[in-house]
Amino acid sequence: MRWLGLAGLSVVALTLAVVLGPAHVAWADLGRSPIVRELRIPRALLGFVVGGSLAVSGASLQALMRNPLADPFLLGLSGGAGLGAVAAIALHLGGPWALPLAAFVGALVALGLVFRLGLIGGWGGGVELDPRVLLLGGVAVGAFAGAVMTAIISVSEAAQLRNAFLWLWGGLSGASWDTLLVLCLYVPVPLLVLLAAARPLDVLALGEEPARYLGADVTALKRRVYLAASLLTAAAVAVSGVIGFVGLMVPHLCRGVWGQQHRALLPASFLGGGALLVLADTAARVAVAPRELPVGIVTALIGVPLFALLLRRWTAT
Amino acid sequence: MDRDLILALRNVSARYPGAAGDALSGVSLDVRAGDLLAILGPNGSGKTTLVRMALGLLVPATGTAEVLGRPATAWPRRDLARVVGVVSQREENLFPQRVRESVLLGRYPHLSVWGGERPEDHLAVARALERCDVTALADRWIRTLSGGEYQRVRLARALAQEPRVLVLDEPTASLDLRHEMELFELVRDLVDTHGLAAVVVTHHVNLAARFADQVLLLDDGRSAASGPPTDVLTRATVERVFAWPVAIEPFDGRPQMIPLRKPSP
Amino acid sequence: MRRWADRIHLAARLLVSVAVLGACGRAGDRQTAASQASGALTVTDDAGHRVTLPAPARRIVSVAPSSTELLFALGAGPQVVGRTTWCKYPPAALAVPVIGDGLNPSLEAVAARRPDLVVLYRSALNEAAAAQLARIGVPALVVKQDRLEDLARAAQLLGVVTGHSSAGDTIAAAIDAVLRTPPPPRHVRLAFVVWDNPPMVIGAGSYLDQIAGLAGGVNVFHDIPAASATVSLETIAARDPQVIAVLDDSTPVGEPAYTARPEWQVVRAVRLRRFVHLPADLFGRPSPRTAEAVAELRRLLEAWR
Repeated sequence: MRWLGLAGLSVVALTLAVVLGPAHVAWADLGRSPIVRELRIPRALLGFVVGGSLAVSGASLQALMRNPLADPFLLGLSGGAGLGAVAAIALHLGGPWALPLAAFVGALVALGLVFRLGLIGGWGGGVELDPRVLLLGGVAVGAFAGAVMTAIISVSEAAQLRNAFLWLWGGLSGASWDTLLVLCLYVPVPLLVLLAAARPLDVLALGEEPARYLGADVTALKRRVYLAASLLTAAAVAVSGVIGFVGLMVPHLCRGVWGQQHRALLPASFLGGGALLVLADTAARVAVAPRELPVGIVTALIGVPLFALLLRRWTAT
Repeated sequence: MDRDLILALRNVSARYPGAAGDALSGVSLDVRAGDLLAILGPNGSGKTTLVRMALGLLVPATGTAEVLGRPATAWPRRDLARVVGVVSQREENLFPQRVRESVLLGRYPHLSVWGGERPEDHLAVARALERCDVTALADRWIRTLSGGEYQRVRLARALAQEPRVLVLDEPTASLDLRHEMELFELVRDLVDTHGLAAVVVTHHVNLAARFADQVLLLDDGRSAASGPPTDVLTRATVERVFAWPVAIEPFDGRPQMIPLRKPSP
Repeated sequence: MRRWADRIHLAARLLVSVAVLGACGRAGDRQTAASQASGALTVTDDAGHRVTLPAPARRIVSVAPSSTELLFALGAGPQVVGRTTWCKYPPAALAVPVIGDGLNPSLEAVAARRPDLVVLYRSALNEAAAAQLARIGVPALVVKQDRLEDLARAAQLLGVVTGHSSAGDTIAAAIDAVLRTPPPPRHVRLAFVVWDNPPMVIGAGSYLDQIAGLAGGVNVFHDIPAASATVSLETIAARDPQVIAVLDDSTPVGEPAYTARPEWQVVRAVRLRRFVHLPADLFGRPSPRTAEAVAELRRLLEAWR
């Protein structure tokens, strides 16, 4: 029943995204209009995949970091991506794909740095990924990259550089069938890795030592989950910039309905995150037409009250 | 092999990086099916280190630690979890969970990556709940349980692994008399009626003496004595290891320790 | 010892001048725009503040490219002693020392030029900066420079405070004349796209919208009151401008990078590569050379009429 509801919500969200928009398209023309075919449909699908990826990434990281506040962008990836984008503009890297590619590379560099910082010697003799150090490292790397980015923008004379900020918070404007295709080729691998980690993540919730006693290969699990979740986030930031709240709130909303078992939680988060982002993007395009709101603001406007309601319910019991 | 030798540590020693001395040196132990072994010793005597080594989390610096004849560290964790069920000292509950879900985690080593839970898994969970007398609690939230109920649920989770040996690290640390006794009775019963082996790390000398078949008394990383309780728990040994005057009185065929007041100088 | 004496002397002089300024301010209350009595002058800036100078400004720091250009156009170029990194026109301005990028002006860098007047464009941040400058005894003018009529008013205002009133009136009259010129009859629908992701366009609040109208163009986003706004790509596609105006900061002039992006092909003008390139020099800010800008855009739009 709840799965049916979620599937229904996803279909409604996608349908609304295709039917509604600031440009008027007659019902009869929905099938033929290039605005629908080339802009709305790829944008809706891209939004769904991005929202779903962020939510799955957030749910996995919350379990890995043992921190309900974990968010896909907490680990420094947005700083890395922003620095990449600024570098691309500053170095005059041309071409239509320069910015997303540079942002992706920037996010990967940040990911690698944070991962290296997070590896510390464990008492077992080998090197272990310590989630607490990972969290601190992520915040530090993100802050540093953000500072470097702002410094470059401040001292540089290229007016274009200021737009790197715009781009970083840009949302889904860059959606096209090509972008969607690239993302759809890329996303399944990290997504499957995370889905395969669903049951071990349940076990990990008890703590690392109990998880080991229950048969989880915790060392490998932590690395796999961190890398897969971060790779998903890096791709999301490359195609749509930093979109907040989806990765933080959707998992918690889903926990309220589906419980803590990641085998249900992760797929539910994917659908829920996808539906939420698509709805938010539709609202962003339509609410103040012809102007457009930043989608991150709409996800916060929709998500935060829901989240607050849920928080009250949890703290009441 | 004589009767199924499940855990065998031979002459193991361990040292933590940066530590001045060995955490363990030259300790041996055997655990066979149908055995209840109690590990006793003061704080910092190496009890938990020994358990970690037996469970393959620590590589012995010298000696061997084997589970069913194979080095403990060579076991894939999944396979090991089907042989050894552990109730560790501490665990966390990051997200709220119900008792049945929590016990179902014990089936983890039996489940495939993509497959769902099979009827036999639910059966094993039901059996484990039943044996630990927590069936009535199955739909309760973990955080609403009392300390005694929670420890029984954790034991049920270890049983759901269908292991051949149970390892319990200070399982009654914060329990009152009744719950403490109930837990020891439960472990003893599991060993007697289901052919399990059990290792219990505890501070309770008297409970160890009442329930265990074998006792290993650790002192500063070394084995002070090991064998049946009557042989190990002598006045001289206990006073030396715990550095406190005691009297030992037999009760029901087992030695019982009575701590004495410090004689006035 | 002598240094201390100097400082005390300086402090005393500051106190006196503040008292005099205060007296002048009160005296000027009855006047509305400017007063020329006894060499001192009082003006009301675009933030509504009264600013009083003992005499026409001799050392001016300009914290906006548009006011720098305007000051040079007024003939007050030699009086400009500080500019921002973005102030690059006229070329003579390049010789003036830079005080920063002007976005969040460093008061110390401004004060270090020992200005007797600071000119800021109107923004919340700059109004706060103006108040702080006033507190340390540096008069600061906040000048609105978004639309062409703002520029006409700014020319008069800056003319008065720099002692070039007649030049200010001339420039203001020239801008008024441009604004009154009837536009060519045949309209070309155009959009100013200033950034591609998210797409940002110029709305009615900008001087560019006015220039477009005067040059015989129609900004398809004239219904947006703001100077610039983020819009959906599909809105641009649906409004179907005949041509897209691109502000070029850099030479050589090329097609914008988004021309190659698949999603932009839905916009007909992009698909057909119909761009007009506006040199940033002339179009990058409201400028006293508005007549030139209008004529240039008119010429560029001829091709699409």
